[in-house]
Amino acid sequence: MKKLLQKIAKKSPWLYRINAGSCNGCDVELATTACIPRYDIERLGCKYCGSPKHADIVLITGPLTARVKEKVLRLYDEIPDPKVTVAIGVCPISGGVFRDSYAITGPIDNFIPVDVNVPGCPPRPQAIIDGIVEAIKIWETRL
Amino acid sequence: MTDIVKLILDLLVFPGGLFAIFFGLFLIGIDRKIAARLQRRIGPPIYQPFIDLVKLIRKEMVVPDTAHVQAFRLAPLLGFAGMMAAVLLIPITGVYQGFGHSGDLLVLLYLLSLPAIALMIGGSASSSPFGAIGFSREMVMMMSYELPLLLVLVTVALKVGLATGGIATFSLSEIVQFQLENGALLFDYTMLPALLAFLVFIPGNMGVVPFDIPEAETEIVEGPILEYSGAGLALFKLMTSLKMVVVLGLAITLFFPTPMGENFLLNLLWFFLKCLVLMVISITVVRTSTGRVRMDQAFKFYLKYPTVLALISLILTLLQG
Ligand code: SF4
Repeated sequence: MKKLLQKIAKKSPWLYRINAGSCNGCDVELATTACIPRYDIERLGCKYCGSPKHADIVLITGPLTARVKEKVLRLYDEIPDPKVTVAIGVCPISGGVFRDSYAITGPIDNFIPVDVNVPGCPPRPQAIIDGIVEAIKIWETRL
Repeated sequence: MTDIVKLILDLLVFPGGLFAIFFGLFLIGIDRKIAARLQRRIGPPIYQPFIDLVKLIRKEMVVPDTAHVQAFRLAPLLGFAGMMAAVLLIPITGVYQGFGHSGDLLVLLYLLSLPAIALMIGGSASSSPFGAIGFSREMVMMMSYELPLLLVLVTVALKVGLATGGIATFSLSEIVQFQLENGALLFDYTMLPALLAFLVFIPGNMGVVPFDIPEAETEIVEGPILEYSGAGLALFKLMTSLKMVVVLGLAITLFFPTPMGENFLLNLLWFFLKCLVLMVISITVVRTSTGRVRMDQAFKFYLKYPTVLALISLILTLLQG
């Protein structure tokens, strides 16, 4: 029974975006490229939700600047379990072009458990969708 | 005794309860699919709302620290229960008689405002500023669409009442009976403005795109339901799907209850088909082809066009009768 419910539930991952100080390149890629009709992410059952309380898969962009760190951590705590984190772009991995800057507290996985990394600056929409599919696989095991 | 058992079965299995939930979720699934096709997307499978529900029930329910816990937990239940009761009042011609009391149209009118009230209570109990904004917007929205709705209902009631020798009938079964004998009100030219007004009322009541101001995702991040997660959110989703059945069913009862012969299943399918067509016209196409309007624009719109349309029908009916 639990297996069956797991199988059903994994088809409805709702996405939530957190901008941890990104240059907006990744956000544009997320919001207007990977999710416009052309690549239609709704066919996987995904839906963008405005509220962290509704989210299942968290997409984080940006290098975690010192300014937003507290807020991002708080936001992350508000997301109900089970959740999966996907880091979009090279910024969350290493800081990317902002590396070694005094304003950066990243890499993000020092503070938040990152499950999937999607490298690229910014990554291609196909790569993002692939990352989300990976995340769904991980999410299924946690449900 | 058997009456009570039958009532409970009606409430929980058919046509209320399970059946209505299934029906409503299915309609919403089809709506999402058609909307996707209209935007040249593939779209989710039509059973997606069921999947969403299963998932939501498996998620944790977070209650904010600053929220009023009881009101926060009870609000979705209130809306859901109200809609469960409302479905019971909707007759499906040739399948289900409806509740059959003389004032059920009035009861339905009151029950119809429960979802909005539930959203208001939930939004304000959540103690989130977005919830509070959603609360006030929901209230304004309710004030703007309630007037045309009331006028349409009174028009239909007067029409049927005057024709059958009384003043006004607020009984759904009498309204259906009248239409079965004298032809559906859909084909009566004096009722056309009222029908249009009702069509305009539907997106406002369902809170879909041009009038989704209380729950605007992109400005106040879903307003009243912002803080809900897990089971609470699932109940709100169920409430919406039941509301869909109630609102569409009410429109069909008021304007086009003509059945498709004697067969039980055929009539059910016919009802489903009518709901589907009505939904595509008044919800899906509207929501894919428009953008959100501002609160004051929506308020003015509702006080201008649907109200005037419904008034025209009312005056025509009075002149005739
Ligand atoms: S990875 Fe590149 S595009 Fe993305 S936020 Fe960092 S700098 Fe901008």
